[in-house]
This record gives sequence, C-alpha cells and structure tokens, in this order.
Amino acid sequence: MEKMSRVTTALGSSSISGRTMFCHLDAPANAISVCRDATQVVVAGRNIFKIYALEEEQFVEKLNLRVGRKPSLNFSCADVMWHQMEENLLATAATNGAVVTWNLGKPSRNKQEQLFTEHKRTVNKVCFHPTEVYMLLSGSQDGYMKCFDLRKKESVSTFSGQSESVRDVQFSMKDYFTFAASFENGNVQLWDIRRPDRYERMFTAHTGPVFCCDWHPDDRGWLATGGRDKMVKVWDMTTNRAKEIFCVQTIASVARVKWRPERKWHLATCSMMVDHNIYVWDVRRPFIPFATFEEHKDVTTGIVWRHQHDPHFLLSGSKDSTLYQHMFKDASRPVDRANPEGLCFGLFGDLAFAAKESLISGDASRKPYPGGDRRYPIFFFKKPNPTEQFAHVSSALSVFESSVESRHMDWLVKTARLYLLSGKPFAELCDHNAKVAKELNRPQVSTTWTMLRIMFSDPANLSTPGPNHIGKLGTLPLMNSFSMKEMGTGLVAEGRLERSKGESRQDNLHLEPGNSLINSNNDENEETEGSEGQAEYMFGDAELDDDDLYSMEHENHAAEEQEYTLPQEAFPLRHEIMDNPSAPEHLQQDKADSPHASGNEAEVMCLTPIESFSLISISQPLFSPHLPAQFFCPVVREMLIHYAEQGDVQMAVSVLIVLGDRIRKEIDDLTQEHWYTSYIDLLQRLELWNVSNEVIKLSTCSAITCLNQTSTTLHVNCSNCKRPMSNRGWICDRCHQCASVCAVCHHVVKGLFVWCQGCSHGGHLEHVMNWLKSSSHCPAGCGHLCEYT
Amino acid sequence: MFLARSIAADHKDLIHDVSYDFHGRRMATCSSDQSVKVWDKSENGEWICTANWKTHSGSVWRVTWAHPEFGQVLASCSFDRTAAVWEEIVGESSDKQRGLRHWIKRTTLVDSRTSVTDVKFAPKHMGLMLTTCSADGVVRIYEAPDVMNLSQWSLQHEISCKLSSSCISWNPSSSRVHPPMIAVGSDDSSAVYSGKVQIYEYIDHTRKYAKAETLMTVTDPVHDLAFAPNLGRSFHVLAIATKDVRIFKLIPMRRDATHSSTPTKLEIQVLAQFDNHNSQVWRVSWNITSTLLASSGDDGCVRLWKANYMDNWKCTAILRGDGIPVNCSHDVLN
Repeated sequence: MEKMSRVTTALGSSSISGRTMFCHLDAPANAISVCRDATQVVVAGRNIFKIYALEEEQFVEKLNLRVGRKPSLNFSCADVMWHQMEENLLATAATNGAVVTWNLGKPSRNKQEQLFTEHKRTVNKVCFHPTEVYMLLSGSQDGYMKCFDLRKKESVSTFSGQSESVRDVQFSMKDYFTFAASFENGNVQLWDIRRPDRYERMFTAHTGPVFCCDWHPDDRGWLATGGRDKMVKVWDMTTNRAKEIFCVQTIASVARVKWRPERKWHLATCSMMVDHNIYVWDVRRPFIPFATFEEHKDVTTGIVWRHQHDPHFLLSGSKDSTLYQHMFKDASRPVDRANPEGLCFGLFGDLAFAAKESLISGDASRKPYPGGDRRYPIFFFKKPNPTEQFAHVSSALSVFESSVESRHMDWLVKTARLYLLSGKPFAELCDHNAKVAKELNRPQVSTTWTMLRIMFSDPANLSTPGPNHIGKLGTLPLMNSFSMKEMGTGLVAEGRLERSKGESRQDNLHLEPGNSLINSNNDENEETEGSEGQAEYMFGDAELDDDDLYSMEHENHAAEEQEYTLPQEAFPLRHEIMDNPSAPEHLQQDKADSPHASGNEAEVMCLTPIESFSLISISQPLFSPHLPAQFFCPVVREMLIHYAEQGDVQMAVSVLIVLGDRIRKEIDDLTQEHWYTSYIDLLQRLELWNVSNEVIKLSTCSAITCLNQTSTTLHVNCSNCKRPMSNRGWICDRCHQCASVCAVCHHVVKGLFVWCQGCSHGGHLEHVMNWLKSSSHCPAGCGHLCEYT
Repeated sequence: MFLARSIAADHKDLIHDVSYDFHGRRMATCSSDQSVKVWDKSENGEWICTANWKTHSGSVWRVTWAHPEFGQVLASCSFDRTAAVWEEIVGESSDKQRGLRHWIKRTTLVDSRTSVTDVKFAPKHMGLMLTTCSADGVVRIYEAPDVMNLSQWSLQHEISCKLSSSCISWNPSSSRVHPPMIAVGSDDSSAVYSGKVQIYEYIDHTRKYAKAETLMTVTDPVHDLAFAPNLGRSFHVLAIATKDVRIFKLIPMRRDATHSSTPTKLEIQVLAQFDNHNSQVWRVSWNITSTLLASSGDDGCVRLWKANYMDNWKCTAILRGDGIPVNCSHDVLN
C-alpha cells in the first residue's frame, strides 16, 4: 500500500508537502495532536508520550516526554492536546484523573509544568480554548468538567453535568464562551463558560454513550456527534431546539469525529471496536463513505487533520502501535468499487435493470477505462466537481418486458405442455410431437421427430392402424411414396450425391405432399390435442387408467420388436442382418457402428433448418424394414447428445421417454439422470407441475422415479369422525362412511381433492375454489374459517 | 420487442442488485441506503413494493433468493461485514399481524472481517447452503443442517482466495459426474496477480474444496460472473464481467475411474469476448435456457448476446435504461 503520490499545499507563507507514510511506535497510542504549524505531532498512550517531527519522507522522533526512572501514572495518557496558539504548550489527560500541562520550552528533561489532580477518575478529554491562551477544559469519567486557568494552581470553575461520565468536551470555534460536552447516557450539553451552575441546553443525541463531538470549523451552529449506536449526527445548534440535520450510519461505534478542513460537508470518523478503518463521509450521502483509509491493523484511536486549512493530510494513531500520515489522494474510494448497476434475467425473459441515473442519462461523466479510454485522452473530459457528483446519486429501476407476441420462453412452455410422451403408439407420439414442433416454428425439431418415427417404426404396424390413424399415416408421405424394396445400403452414398446435386428439386417433391396432408389432417389432430391438453394428474382412481395405458404401450413395443426380428421379404438386406449376430436381442446390443451410420450422424450434427428437409429424403432411402432399429441407435444417441449440448434438454428428455427401451441402453445412466434432473428443474421453475410429474413418472432412471416418493407421506383423517384412516381406500372403517365426499356437491371425489388442514373438510378443487369466492367459512357448515395455503 | 417499464424504486442511494425469484414473480432490490425491497408482480403486470425494511448498517451489495422449496427466503450481504438470511412468514393467528406477510431476520453471519461482497445459495440439489465472499478474499460456505430451521447455519468450508473477492457463482449442474464447483471473481486492481477468476471444486476424497483452475487471461478487475444454466450439458459455460464481457467454456476432461483426490482437469475455451460497452462491465445474467446473455456496463446500456448454432456469439439487442427506443429484432429472441 505504499503509494508514492505527493501533494504540496501552499498555505499562506508555509507549505505542506508529504506522502502517505508511517512509523512504528513502541506502544499503542491513545491520542494524537498536532502543533499549529503542522510540523510536529505528539503521540500519547498508556506507555508512550513522544513528539515526532513530520518530515517530507518520514516521521522523525524529536522528543520523549516520559522521563524519570519510576513510571508515573501521570504519563499514562487518555488524551493529549497541543495548544493552537502557544507552540510550547501541551496538555494531557491521565488515566489516574490528573490533568497535566507540559512546557516544551523548559530547559530540563522533565517538561511537566502543572499538575491538577482534582478529578477522581479517568479524565477522558482535555481541550484548550481556541483563542484564550491560558484556558483549559477537562472532562472526566467522574461526571465533572473543570475549567483551569493555567496561571493558577487550581481549577477556576467546575461544571456538573448531573449526568453520567463525560466523554468529550469541545470549545466552540466561534462562540467565545460556549462549549459542548457529551455524556455516556446519550446526552449532549451546551455550557456557557461563565455560568458553572447549570447548562444552557441539553438534548439527547444518541441512544447509548456519545463518545465524541466536534464543532464545524466554519459553520457556527453545526455540531457533529458520534455514539455507540454507530451513528454520526450533525446538529444545527442555532435554532431553539437542537435540530438533527444529517445522520450518517457507520458500521461500528464511533469513537472520534473530526470535520475535514475546507470541505464543508466532510467529516472523518474512526471506531473503537471491530473496525480499524478511518472513514471520511460526505454528510449529504450518509450511506457510503466518501473515502476510506485502511492501513491500520488494529483499532484507530486518534485522528487529526494535519493542518486546520489543509484537507489533504490526515494523521492517525492506533492500538497497532503505528502512526500514519494519510494522503487523501491515496484513500480508497468505496463508491468506485461499489457496483452501480443491477441486472437480472427473469424467468420469461424479462430483464430487471437498475442503474445509476447518471449512467443512463448518458452524460459525459461516465468513467473512462482505467488507464484511459482509447478514443479520448482523459483530459478531454471536463470533470465536474467530484464532491458534488458524489453527493447526488440515485438509481433508476426498470423492467424490460418481452412483449406478448415475442415472449421467447413461450415455445418452451408450449412444447412442454403439448408434447405427448406416452399413452399412444410410438408412431403417433412422434407424429404428434413433430406437429407440435412444427407449429411452434421449430422445423429442425419437427424433422427429428419425423425421422425418429421413420427409423423406429415398424412398417408392418403401419399397415394395420386403427381407423383414426389413417390420417396420421399420411403425414409421412415419404414412407409410402417410396418403395422399400430397391434401396440397398450401397445406395446411401448415391442418395447423398443426389441430394447435393438436386437438393431443391427433392425438397419440393417431398415437401408438397407433406404440407397438404398436414393441412388436411388438421381437424383430427386438433381433437387429439384437446385430449392431451388436459394432461392433468389425478390422485386415486384415475392413476390406474394411466398405468393401464402405459403398460399397454409396453405390450405394443413388445409386439413391434418381435416383428422386427421376423425376417421380411426384401432379401438383399438379409445379409446385413446376418452380419450382426446380436441383432435379435437388440436391447442388449451395443452400438452397431456401421460406416453408414456414422456418415449419417455427421449429417445430423450439421443440420440447419433448411437442410433438414432434404435430409429426410436421404434418410428415406435408408429406411428399410430390414434395417433393425438398433442400426440407428448410435445416430440417435449422437443426436440426443447434440441436442443436450445445445441446451435443448427438453428434446433430449422427450425423445428419451418416447423411445423408451429402444434407446435407453445406449446412453449411460448418469447422463440420463442429468438430463432428467435438468429438465425437471426447468419444468418446476416454469411451474409446469403436471408435466414435471409426468416426466418423473415416465422416467426409467431409478434416481428420478424415486423423486416422487421421497419424504412424501400422506396422513389422512376421515372427514366424518376425524380419526385417522387406517386402511386403504376411501371408506372409513370406524364410521363406515365414505371419507372423501365433496363438502360442496356431496359426491365422492375422484381426482384432485383439496381439503382444509384445520377442519379436514374439502372436496373438488373447483367446487371449493368457487365456494371460497363467496364465503370464507367451511362449506361443510362446521363453522371453521378455512385456510388453504 | 422489449417494453421498458419504469419502476419508482425510491431507494435513497444506489441500487446495487436486483434479483428475481425462482418463478419470476417476485423481485428483490438492495441499495446502499441499507434497505431491501421486495416487489411482487400484480395481475396487470405492475410491480408493487410489498416489503421494505432496513437490513444492514452499511451498503447492501447483493440480495438473492433461495429455492422456494425452502420457503420464501432471501439472503443479503453488506459493507457492514455481515450477511443475513431473511424469511417471509405469515403472521400467526394469535398475533397482531395475523395473516400479514412480513420478513424476519433468521440469522446474521458475522464471520467476515471485511465487507461481504457477494452471497449466493448453492444449487438446490446440494441442500440448503449459502456462500459468501468478502473483500479479504475468503469464501465461506455455510450449511443449514435442518432446512426447517433457518436460524442455524454452520460454517462448513473456508476457502482463502488470496485476492479481494467481488463475486461468486455456483455451477448449477445437477449431474453427479460434476462435483460441486464454484467460481470466484476478484476486483483486485493490481496487475501483480493475474488471473482474477478462480474456480474451486469439491473433492470427495478430502471433503474439501480445491482450486481446479485459474483463468489467467482475465487480468482486470472482475465485477460479476455467472455460470449458465446447465440444462444437461456435459460442459460448463461461464460469463464474466470485467472491462469487457467474456464467455468461457469449461470442458471437464474425462477422469479415470479411480476417484482421484485432485480436482477435475478443465479444458478452457474462450467462446467470446466483447468490448462493445467500451467501459467497465458491471453485471452479467443468463436467461433460464442459457441461450441469451445480458450484460450491463458503465455506458448505461444492457446488451443481449446470443450464439448461433456454430457457437458464434453476436449482440442481438441494445437496451437503454431510460426506455429510449431499443433496437432489437424479435426473431433472434426465439
């Protein structure tokens, strides 16, 4: 922290220059004071009493005032004050209650001049009158303040605060007769030096002790006080009642406060506990220190501005046994490190942005790069007064809302809602999801679903769909329009070539029938959409149905798989299957890494939406009933990983669920689990609880499926007899009534059941919601004020 | 298109942080005026201040929400060297405040000896954990052993970063292959120590955090950093606000089967680096799908960045805080 900056201040005849510097003391300091011409500083403490000269580069010890063989308690100083008019005169406040004056002009080694032992306890503070040479004031722990005439042996007057211990006394800079005293009980008193009988005025300044006070050097009526309540308050004393005009919140109790010379709004503070730093505050901005000096390693006990007209140098002594001279230029400015902006992305793409107003208004006051803006030399900016700039700040808060038509999270929510993950034959799920993706303007995803269908569907299955599936079939014109017979694997390469030549032609060819068919199918599709839109999850009976569906689907799979293993009519490819001995049990099979597959995989990886259409036409020749599904597994695996790496975990998980066992073995469990947890987290964040629950239920990862079981126990009371239901089912075995009767419609509730935790009455969610709109009492008439939280 | 909605925040000093809650319905702001305000979105989209209280005796640097699973919980950190945990509760029936929501302080964490510059909850899957970092370069990780008792936090780890820390970010990945990872940024302005971003990883073997990486290329003070939502990726993306915006990709190298006692080796790639703000960048924030990065700088603008499928990052919008027309094409936001 040794910075070498240097300031020279011309102050009339003399000039002050120096740098940030320090010296080690032999003992902790309690107080410091500086002589009038700012060339020497006195340091006093329990075991130290020395004078240092302030040289340009360093402190030089001038004089040790502790003399004599036996240590005297008179040397143990709580406070020290250098007379501002008489340069040889010092006063100290001793911890034994003595007030001692010292004359540096004395020829002997012992410079002690006067000794007043009138206080009974520690003297906390001594203060010379700013203009009267021989007047000294003291304030003590015993609750008295005494005024001494240094020409006399005893005090001339004693002021009794009638309060607790006196912590600080300060002569007013402007009013000859006035001084302020601060007390441990939180009071501040104003006294007239001529009237020792009672104070002029008293007010409570702080809760808890007031440790210090300081008169403003220029403003007649301003008094700053600091207390254990961590506050610095500035009082206007010119009015009848002391008026608090500023209040600064610090982070620790305030031990000392000193107005900064030549800066109307600034004052320096230090703390007696916890905090070792010295802060300079602008009282108009009471929350952030204007500057901080962080050099001390222990509590700072004394601070003093080096010269009463120079704001650039601050001296400080500390319990860490160092004496510092701080250059204001070297101070750290907390506000420069303080972040002037806040920014947060909301869930739906809204942005909350808070920024310092001056930044937003975009004036030239913005900070250039440290080290200089490259475009403008720094001196081109006319710098506004930094003090003024500091004092007046505020932040503007605004929220940028993405407008309704471009809510860019919508696709995610819609996709999550509309995707079908189970409950229908595989091909239909794929078709449906492809359509959803297409409608949300995500052609690549849509194409992927179509491809999946092509890859994994069994053509035999397609020829025997139920009547309502015929339309669906049509959405895949590719499957029918090309016969599967002639395409051997060797044709893949050709096909690819063909694509590169006549891409556009093929696109048209395949796109048109596809589009028209999709249009013609709209009606039917809407129907199915309606049914899946309410993918609500029910408790109780409804669940069974779902399970049934699910298991039925499994049977379907089994059927499909079996058919795959059956030899089919296109002979040329039989060869291929034979190549793969493990083909029949394709579930256990590892990646069948054929060159064709890897070539194809490269295609998938570099898909762009436009190309993807042509890709179908490529994969289409690949399609053949004789290529077993696992042939595609590596490709699909790569594709899923690709989607996941792109951040579309939704696609990865959806495909994973829809393909189920077809792909599950291809991807290691940890990755699957990772995808699941990520997607579920996303869904829950979007409050898509039903979808997230469905995903949890359909997942095949044991770590995920158990999510719904962990720490979920339902304890049910019978709503009739209020006793716990012991058996399963909805008939209470004690009162033999059906326990789950809706309190509104009196029917047995199947599906979503809500109940009040207080009176255990409830019913259909909708009914209860309607009821609560009109009444807050229980619909069962039990008189309970129901609370649903 | 974005619509700028101005909110009369009425903080008496600078606002240092804004934070949305998990579901995006609530917002918290904190300011140098030592207070935190909570804003709730009303049905017509207005943000209404529902709570405003004095939290600290110094500037409040950051405020952050816990996962709602743990209740309505906020954490704040301050210049006054403390971090605090707040919980919103509904008044008890017997209470005068029956049915009224109000925030109460659950705990004050006083371990730091200097200003606490950032506070973050750990990802939910790690339990209820809170991390702070302070100006003296110490990162502290606290854990609430009982999630129902927010007033008990035990200091689990203390990581000394040597450099004055300004910001932290947890890697949000919930994968079991990714051990807990935390990135710490430093606003130390000296050029002596390069590498102002350090990445620490939890080592199961020693049960301690160890430094996995220092981003040596980041040599200027770092004001903010943010891991992108992981969403099932095998790698991590980290955005850094320093004198420019930087996006790093951290790819964990395959580790051998024997669980070693050293942190995962990371392959570091710079995905993007933008100095368009032409000044200090103060904040970065990701959207939930991690497709968009927002940054704000001393130029008073918010810039949105987006990558195309080739991982080329481009500025897609510039938003000015005062609501002056913003240029932004909406198709890029899809």
